[in-house]
This record gives sequence, C-alpha cells and structure tokens, in this order.
Amino acid sequence: MATLDLAELSVREANERLREYGAAGEDVEVVNPDARHHIGVGLVHPITVHIKGSAGYFCAGLTDGPRFEVDANVGWGLADNMLGGSVVVRGNASAIPGVAVRGAEVVVQGNIGSRAAQVMKEGTLCAGGNANFMAGYMMYGGRLIICGDSGEHLGQDMTGGTIYVGGRVQSLGTDAEPVDLPLEELDEVMSFLERYEVPFNGGTFTKVVNAGKHLRYPRLERRVRVVPFFVASEPTDYWNEKVQEDISVKAQIGRYRIRGYGAGRPLPHLSDVVFKRDLHTIPPDPEVVSKISLATELGGRFGAKPLDLSMPVMIAPMSFGALSKSTKIALAKASALSDIADGTGEGGLIPEVREAAKRIVVQCLGGRLGWNIHDMQRADGIEIYISQGAKPGLGGQLMAKKVTKEIATIRGIPAGIDLRSPSRHPDVLGADDLVIKVEEFREATGWRKPVSVKLGAGRVPDDIKIAYKDGFDYVCLDGVQGSTGAASSEVLEFVGIPTLSAIIEAIDALESIGAVCMPLVLMGGIKDGIDTAKAIALGAHGVALGTSAIIAGGCIACLQCHVGSCVVGIATQDPEHEKRYNIDVESWNIHRYLESVRWQLASIVHAHGYERVHELSRDDLVALTPEAAEITRLEYAPELRDERGQPLQLAAAS
Amino acid sequence: MCGIAGILYKDGAEPARADGLGLGHDLITMLDGCQHRGPDSTGFALYHEPSADDQLRLRFFVGEGEQAAETVAHIKAKLAELDAEVTEEEAIGSTHRLTVSFRGDIQQFAYAMEHVAPVVSIGQSLDIIKDIGGAHDVDAAYGIADFDGTHGIGHVRLATESDVTPDASHPFWATGFADIAIVHNGQITNYWKMRRRLEKRGFEFNTDNDSELIAVYLADKLAQKKTLSEALESSIGDLDGTFSFLVSTKDEIGYAKDRLAAKPMVMYEDDDLVAIASEEVSLNKLFPGRSLATMEPAPGTFRTWRRST
Repeated sequence: MATLDLAELSVREANERLREYGAAGEDVEVVNPDARHHIGVGLVHPITVHIKGSAGYFCAGLTDGPRFEVDANVGWGLADNMLGGSVVVRGNASAIPGVAVRGAEVVVQGNIGSRAAQVMKEGTLCAGGNANFMAGYMMYGGRLIICGDSGEHLGQDMTGGTIYVGGRVQSLGTDAEPVDLPLEELDEVMSFLERYEVPFNGGTFTKVVNAGKHLRYPRLERRVRVVPFFVASEPTDYWNEKVQEDISVKAQIGRYRIRGYGAGRPLPHLSDVVFKRDLHTIPPDPEVVSKISLATELGGRFGAKPLDLSMPVMIAPMSFGALSKSTKIALAKASALSDIADGTGEGGLIPEVREAAKRIVVQCLGGRLGWNIHDMQRADGIEIYISQGAKPGLGGQLMAKKVTKEIATIRGIPAGIDLRSPSRHPDVLGADDLVIKVEEFREATGWRKPVSVKLGAGRVPDDIKIAYKDGFDYVCLDGVQGSTGAASSEVLEFVGIPTLSAIIEAIDALESIGAVCMPLVLMGGIKDGIDTAKAIALGAHGVALGTSAIIAGGCIACLQCHVGSCVVGIATQDPEHEKRYNIDVESWNIHRYLESVRWQLASIVHAHGYERVHELSRDDLVALTPEAAEITRLEYAPELRDERGQPLQLAAAS
Repeated sequence: MCGIAGILYKDGAEPARADGLGLGHDLITMLDGCQHRGPDSTGFALYHEPSADDQLRLRFFVGEGEQAAETVAHIKAKLAELDAEVTEEEAIGSTHRLTVSFRGDIQQFAYAMEHVAPVVSIGQSLDIIKDIGGAHDVDAAYGIADFDGTHGIGHVRLATESDVTPDASHPFWATGFADIAIVHNGQITNYWKMRRRLEKRGFEFNTDNDSELIAVYLADKLAQKKTLSEALESSIGDLDGTFSFLVSTKDEIGYAKDRLAAKPMVMYEDDDLVAIASEEVSLNKLFPGRSLATMEPAPGTFRTWRRST
C-alpha cells in the first residue's frame, strides 16, 4: 500500500500520483487530508483509497471503479457522478452527497446534508443517520436509503428511482408518494445494509416513488399550419397572423407554447454595423485563403492543451436528443473537414461523434444527462453550461416523442417523459461554488483540458467578471438571437439581450478589471463570414455557428424542432424520419458552407491590408443605425446605409 | 459570494492559549483555508476586552495622501463639535483609527460621523479591518496576526454585483449600533423592501450591499431588547433569499442559515472554543492532521454562544 501525505503534497500532485497508482493497481492511503477538496477525482481504476481523516468537496467525484474509505467527514458533492465502485464515509456528509451518481454504491455512516442524490441516475446512496432538506431532489433513477429521519420535501420533483426511509418522513415533495414495500425489496435493502455494516433497528422502511402526475405536459399543442419564421412574433402588425395563432393555441393548452429556433423579432444585430472601408471595390483574390492567417487557439490560459482551430469558428453545442444521431455525425464530420471544433451540448458524447470530430468539446449541464468521466477524458475541451441565449436561466426541454429508449439510456433517465432539464447545477449555487467546480474538472483531467463556460447574455458585465475570477479558459457568450431545439416562445423572444450588446458589454467589463486576456467566443445569430469578421473586430476571439450550420445541412427553418417529426431528419429521433438525412451529403454541405465563411473572413481581412484575422479592430467599423451606434459607441454613419444596405457578396472558393 | 469564518474562545481560554497564538492568527488561518471562495477582498471583525464605558474605538475609511489628511481634519473637527475627546489615534492602510471619550447617543453620533467620512466600525470592543486582497495581504497591511482578542468573525469576498473596493467588503458593521458586526454568504432578495422599512423608521445605511441590511436588522431587534437568539430566529423568516451568516456582539457570536440550505456552513466545538466556517477545510486548518467531530447546521436553524464571564 502506498501513502500520500497531504501535509507535504498539493491535492494536484496527490491526484496525479493517485492516477499512477491506479494504473499500476496499487492501493493507496491518504494521510493528513484535512478536509481538502477533490481528493481522488478522475480515478478510473479499481484500487482502494483510504482517506485517514476528513475530505472536502467532491471526494471520489468523477470516478469509475475505485473503492474509497473515508475515516471522518466529507464536504459537498460526495461521489459526484461516480459510475462504478464504492465509497464508505464513517462520519457525516455535507450537502448533495451522491449527486448524479450513476452506478456506484455510496454509504455514509452518519448524517447526510441537503439535496442528497440530486439528479441521481443509478446505484445506491445510503445514510446510516438522518437526511436533510429535499433528499432525492430530481432523482432520475437509483436507490436512496435513509436509515434515520428525512427532512422536508422528500423526493421533490423526482422522475424515477426509489427512496427508502427508516425513520420519520417530515414531508413529501411534489409528485412523490409512499407506496407498499414488498418483502423481497425490504430484504434487498437489509442485505445492502448488512454488506456495508450499517446498523438499522428501525423495523421497516417507508418506500417513496414518483407519483407520475407531472411527467408530461397535460395537453399537447394541436398541430397548426406553420407560420413562417419571419413572422415568428410581431414584426409589424399588432394583431398579425402569428399573434392570432398564439392566442388560439393558448386557448387550447392553457400554458406557454413551445417551439424551436431563436428570437424572431427585429433587434439590433451585427448587420447594423459595417466595415468603414468600401470592400466592394477590392477585386476578389482566388488565393486569399492561403494569404491570411486565420489560425486561432483557445484555452491555454492555465497550461491546458488549447484547441488549435484552423479559423476562429466552432460548431455551436447542440444536443444528441434535440438533433438526430445522423445530424450530430454530419456536424462532427464537417467540423473535422474544416479543421475546427464541434460540441456535444447536453445529452452526452456518442462514439460516432467522437470518432468523426477532430476536436470535440463536451458540455456539462445541471441534469448531468450523459455526463461522465470517460467522455471528459476522451474530449478536447470541457464546458460548463450555465445558460444559453435562447433561454437564459432555464433548462432544456425535450418532448416525450424525442425521449426514445436510446436517448433515455445515454442520458440515464426514464424514456417517454417530457424532459424538462434542470435550470441549475446541483453543486453550483453561486460564483464561490463554481470556483470549486471548475477546479474539480481540472483535477479530474490533470489540468490538461481547457475548461470553458457557456453563458446566455443577461447580466453580462457581472457574469463575465465572475467567469474570469472563476478561472475559465474562455467564455462562450450567447445572445438572444441564439436558437434552441425547444423553449417557451415568450422566453425565446423576450428574455436575454442582443448578441451585439453582449459582446460590447463583455469587452467593457473585461477591460474594467484588466482581464482582456480571457477570450470570448460569440454566438447567437451569426450567419456568415461577414458577421464573424464583425464579431472579431468588436473584440470576440472567435464565433460559434449553430443555426447556420444546421441550415447548411438541410434544415428548412419550420420552427417545429420540438415536435420530433422533422421532415428532413434533423430534429427527430424517429428512424423513419431520420432515414431522410444523408450524412455524407449533408456533412459536405456543412463543410462547404464553413469554407465560404473562411473565404469571406479571409477576404475581409485581406481587403483591410491585414495578414492576420485578429488584426481586425473596432476602428474598422461604423454603425448604420442610431441604436447600433448607441450600443457599440461606434461612429454613426447613416450615409452608408443605402450604399451598403446589402451585405457584402463574396463568392465561396469552391 | 464568499467564505465566512468565526471563532469564540470560552471561559478565558484566550489569550493564554497553549500555542501562544491568538484571535488574529486563528481567523487568518481559517480565512486563508477558504480563500478560493473569495479572492477579491478579506475582512475581520475583532473583539477585545471592552474598554472603559466612555471609551469608543472608531475606524474610518480616509483614503491615502492629501485626501486622507483633509478627511482626518474634518473628522476631528466634527468630533470636537460633538464633545468627543480624542485620546489615541493611528493611521493605517486606507483607514484612520481613533479612540475617543464620548458619552451620549451612539446612533446619532455615528450618523453624524458617517456624514463626514465612511465609518468602518464603532464600538467599545469591536474593530473591523477590511481591504482588498487575501487574508495574508490584509494581515501584512494591518498587522492582524498580532491582534489578541476574545472572539471575532471574518470574510473572504468574490465580488459579483459591485466593485472590488474596501467599503464593499465584509464584515459589515450595524451602522449606528456599537459592537455589532456580521459576515454573510448568499444574497438577500427582499433587500430593498426591508431596507425601505428600516429607513422609514430613521435608520441609515452606509452602502447598497445586501449584507449590511442583516447587520442593521439584527441591531434593530437587539435595540428593542430582543435577545440575539430571538433576533436570529425572526431573521430566518423575515429575510428572503440565500444566506449563511455569522453575527457578533461584544460578548456573543451566532449563526443563522436559510431554509433552502443553499450556502454551506460547518461548525466545531470543544471545551475551549467554538469555530464556524463555510467549509471544514478552514476548521481543519486550525487543527492540522486531526479528524474533527464537526456538525453541519440544519436548514432554517440558528444558534448563539456567549462568552461565559
């Protein structure tokens, strides 16, 4: 047995050695842990780790296979997302023990803190003592055994899984109900307790499960003739066709409507600023791409291996679930063909996408759906999703038709529910918690992968400063023009701030604290290389393209992404519909579109007489509208409005 | 968004502790242990044995250089006008500390002084020291480690909605009420509603920081002859939002935790002391190499400890 002494080693050094001992199959004891955070995170070998004292936050988190023994107490997030193996804690556990556990057996001999087993998927969390507030909150599956009493709101918003309480249940949460406990099930619980030597003298258990009353929206929207995207809200008339349709549908369902895509209202955008220089007069140069340096690195601020992109463009993260597997593969292929990066969005990394993408960023959301240590280790970058431009502050929605068995399996949830993803992270209730979460991801991957954050534009100056202080490599900032597979239409139209305002506020905030070294990736309604060039001139380090990549790959913009019957096989999980999608054809379509972005970008840089894309600056831009001038503080040049009303037309190279 | 820590020594265990290190050292150690929760600024509310009845310790933010000299002159003029005789003074960091002889209504005195220069704290026992930087930075500038005292609370801050300035740092003094301070982790969402209620009754606020409200709220209850326990109990119902906070008076410390249990707090108690912190790692730093029998307060609970005298 090897010994690691935390009085002498930093946690980072100790974790590095733990992984080496793990690979060598040698058991380890950790002395003088003194409640330090992140002990053992990222371990994927079945060794025994004996922690001789207390451990801090995320002890045994993001692991698969090891057996942990802790002599005293643990902090927040014990066994976070642990896939296999076990943890035995002799003392107490603080809040959210067993968060997002997916297969491991986690035993706390003493009491457990609030929100135990939040978003748990599979496995067992057992407390020898009492549980606190909201145990089993938003559980999707697995087993929570509480030998003592439970606190208020037991099983609040649980979807699946089973809770057993030996003592008193203080109160039940929404959609949780007690049911009969069959004898054979009691035997299983008792044999688990025996196996882990957890004393229980309380006779029997109360069994609590989901009552099934809130798993689906009570009424579905009736299908209507599609009103085109350009009247997605009220662009001109007060009582236009779309407004009437909204009222009539709401009269049926009695709630907000859900649709795909982003804000349809006219809002100040990148089209309201133009380059000062008259680019029409510059003759096209077929060799322009080879003359301009577009290469962009993202994510090396803390010594991680950065994403080295061939141009300052990424594919925006969109989930397997919202999109079909074929579409995800086509996007990954196109990103590889264009030598940029792809992103998973919520819902996990499928092997085909990992294989097809040259660089993939895996995203961690509050529900931890499909999230696991193996994908983190397979990824090229890790991203914490806080919110997105289409629906800042809210979780995703995936309607039952799209929650197929395959989707449910990768996400670790019951099939056939209207999945409303959590809007918050269980273990991030403030900027202070987020610092510790970022460090957990860094520790789990040996500080080798860039860690970024996705933010929907809301309180941009505050949020961007927090992101900087929390130690992210870069920020993906998403304006209200950003799209989604499903959200309430009111939120899509009216929550968030425009992409153009977002980038200005973000750059100002970073400058105010001397933090311009933190790169921003702008997204939300960026449709071509011209928008990309403007975003970069305004201070973005790069952009991400979602909607435009989807349209390049065959989307007809009907806004019905949420329904699950996408006629072109993109926003669907129905094999019959997905058959219509040809991965090879669409990946090349997306690739060609990306190359047109590259061409436009290079041409604009070249036309300015620059050699590198990041030489573009706000001095190259003017504003065409008073609103854009106010937002950007660029010179107001209405005289260019007629002349440049039409966007610059530049043909793609191929 | 922050980390908090507090310590109270029982039964005269302080200052003659075995290791010879006192209050200042212990709070620095605990705050350094959770500095990751708040790198922007660090603050201490330190209590020593109360001085004579008419002796008040005052600390002001005065800035630096010429501006400081001018502000100090204004402060002294006002003190003279209010019949407060300066018996001792010291310029340190961006603050000026004075000891004055004063008999009279402290609340009105405090408001009058606040209109001259920002007051950090006023009390017979209390001294609040807070500035930008980490626990060791503030110690280097103000000599915190040398401070021997009876009890105290401290705070590390990660600024989320306001600027990184000394006056936006914690602890907050209960403006107008001697010897009361709080440190808070969380966010009070009914801040303006509660503040307007208190302002209507004549209370003044130094800042727009939601945490100052907690201090003034508790001080108001104490002024109404409620016990600290009673004040904490009502605060859990009256304050909306997320909070784990510590409060200190001249002879007590206490905590309250919101019903949502959104913010962490861990405590340790033995025969000599009680120590409370956001994370066990802070407590363990006081007792390296030991497994501590710690306790996590339940949601919606409060508790107080008094120095037995």
